[in-house]
Amino acid sequence: MGVVSLTIEAPETGQRAAPDRPHRRRGRFGFHGAMMTPGLLLLAVLSVIPFLTVLAMSFSRVRLLGGVSFSFVGLEYWARFFADVDLWTQWLRTLVFFVLTVGLEMVLGLGLALCLWKLMRGRNAVLSLLLLPMFVAPVIAGLLGRFLTDSTFGLYSWLLRLVGYEGDILGGSYSAFLAVVAMDVWQWTPLITLITLAGLTAVSQSVREAAALDGAGPWQTLRHIILPSISSVLLVALLIRSMDAIRYFDIIAVTTNGGPADATKVVPIRLYETAFRFFDLGYAAVIGLVMLAVTIAIARVFVGILDRKGLTR
Amino acid sequence: MTTLRTHPVDRTTRRARLGIGLVLVLALLWTLVPLVWMALSSFKSGADVTSAEPTVLFEPTLDNYAKLFSGANNLGPYILHSVLAAGISSVLAVVLGALAGYGLAGSRMRGKKHLAFWIISTRMAPIAVVVLPLFLLFRGANLIDTIPGLILAYLTFNLPFAIWLMSAFFAQIPPSVEESALVEGCTRWQAFWHVILPLTKAGLVTTFVLCLVFSWNDYAFALVFSGPNSQTLPMAADQLVTQTGIDWGQLTAIGTIVVLPMIVAGLAVRRWLVTGLTLGAVTGE
Repeated sequence: MGVVSLTIEAPETGQRAAPDRPHRRRGRFGFHGAMMTPGLLLLAVLSVIPFLTVLAMSFSRVRLLGGVSFSFVGLEYWARFFADVDLWTQWLRTLVFFVLTVGLEMVLGLGLALCLWKLMRGRNAVLSLLLLPMFVAPVIAGLLGRFLTDSTFGLYSWLLRLVGYEGDILGGSYSAFLAVVAMDVWQWTPLITLITLAGLTAVSQSVREAAALDGAGPWQTLRHIILPSISSVLLVALLIRSMDAIRYFDIIAVTTNGGPADATKVVPIRLYETAFRFFDLGYAAVIGLVMLAVTIAIARVFVGILDRKGLTR
Repeated sequence: MTTLRTHPVDRTTRRARLGIGLVLVLALLWTLVPLVWMALSSFKSGADVTSAEPTVLFEPTLDNYAKLFSGANNLGPYILHSVLAAGISSVLAVVLGALAGYGLAGSRMRGKKHLAFWIISTRMAPIAVVVLPLFLLFRGANLIDTIPGLILAYLTFNLPFAIWLMSAFFAQIPPSVEESALVEGCTRWQAFWHVILPLTKAGLVTTFVLCLVFSWNDYAFALVFSGPNSQTLPMAADQLVTQTGIDWGQLTAIGTIVVLPMIVAGLAVRRWLVTGLTLGAVTGE
């Protein structure tokens, strides 16, 4: 990790040159346009058609037998959505899960990045080891979590028994919820560490020197100098993680699948259950569209930040 | 680095250094114990895997792996399906992503911002929301339980990712590079193919590896779309979970097989991971 820079400055230069050559501009546009066409066409097919389909599904009763058929039912599913108390509970649970996992990941990730930053020797080796969980398939992470917390032979259950905890971790409501939170934290804290460390490495030495000359102590330097200068990187980390946190459901699906007694039933799990266990496809589409709206709102903030920093070209 | 160490800001006290060391050791234990335990368990015999007291010293055996590659539930086809689905979708994503990313980075069209936003929002769409309509569309098009179906499904997240990320990598190349190639008589395509593209080899490799990791690790799509003819490795792990119990020896062996190649691939591009995973918003090398 040598020199690190935010791409903030880079793209600017990319566009300055073109207006000087008006005669070439049209050709340039055409070439760029041609290069974009195949990818964007395929992406359009892969996103617009499914989007329209899911929209249509939310207003229709979908029959699968004897060929797929739609019959229009108006706002029936949307009306049900607003009256569905269970679903609101599940949204609330999703929110708690989200705040706990992303919050813990941000705090732990930042803490670890600060420790790594102070580490002069072996930083890259330690970082590489800390990153490993990110590459683990979430299904495997979940199943591994089940293995470790099994009440008869799980390594972690055994450790907890040594300190006096006897319960079946995935069997109790609270412990199961905390366990899936812990698995998510295990898997995704490294992402925050990685991003934050890149931000820290970019804090220029002169800034820190100035702080030291002013007689700032380590805590003051951290609070008033370092954290402010990596705030945009922290925000990027938070948003990237947030968008993914809403996407993923694998770990819960293979560990508790929403149980015990709905203790871990977050919205994506509910959606899968509604769609592929009960085949209530129209209602699942409504739940899905609301999830999509939430994600797009977060993505808007993300792009807005990149934009203000000049990061979107 | 030496100037850093002598500087007052970085003069970490002994106690602080001890604290940092302790935190990192704990973090390493928390991170690595599950993985090491998985790998160890995959070499244990059945009784050792599920003994109430954890066994650290044991006679290593390849039984679990041998069982995976013999008999009715041979892992071979699963590996083939995974390699085909993840590999082909990643190659397609990188090829189309490199072309479109180059176009997007250089384009000066109006509405580009909206285009960029549309691309990133397709990438961020919750998988469950994509699975739902694709389930109907794939049923209509007979793509359920086929490798092409999985490839298309993976492209829904790999393609926007590749376009966005490649455009971030292209944006880092100064335009003067392309201009001088054009002045020297290259056509637009030659300039792209012989000059620009080789400069972003790291970007291409990083994009490919991340696409590969995302699709190789997929469970949400495979759960709905794959069947006997297209089951991928994560589904093989899932299927070992049965009503009657779980063969943890075999499961940890599958886990090791799924995880190991991705760790190797991921660490190979570690220098560019930040750029890749933040979609180009933060760069570090």
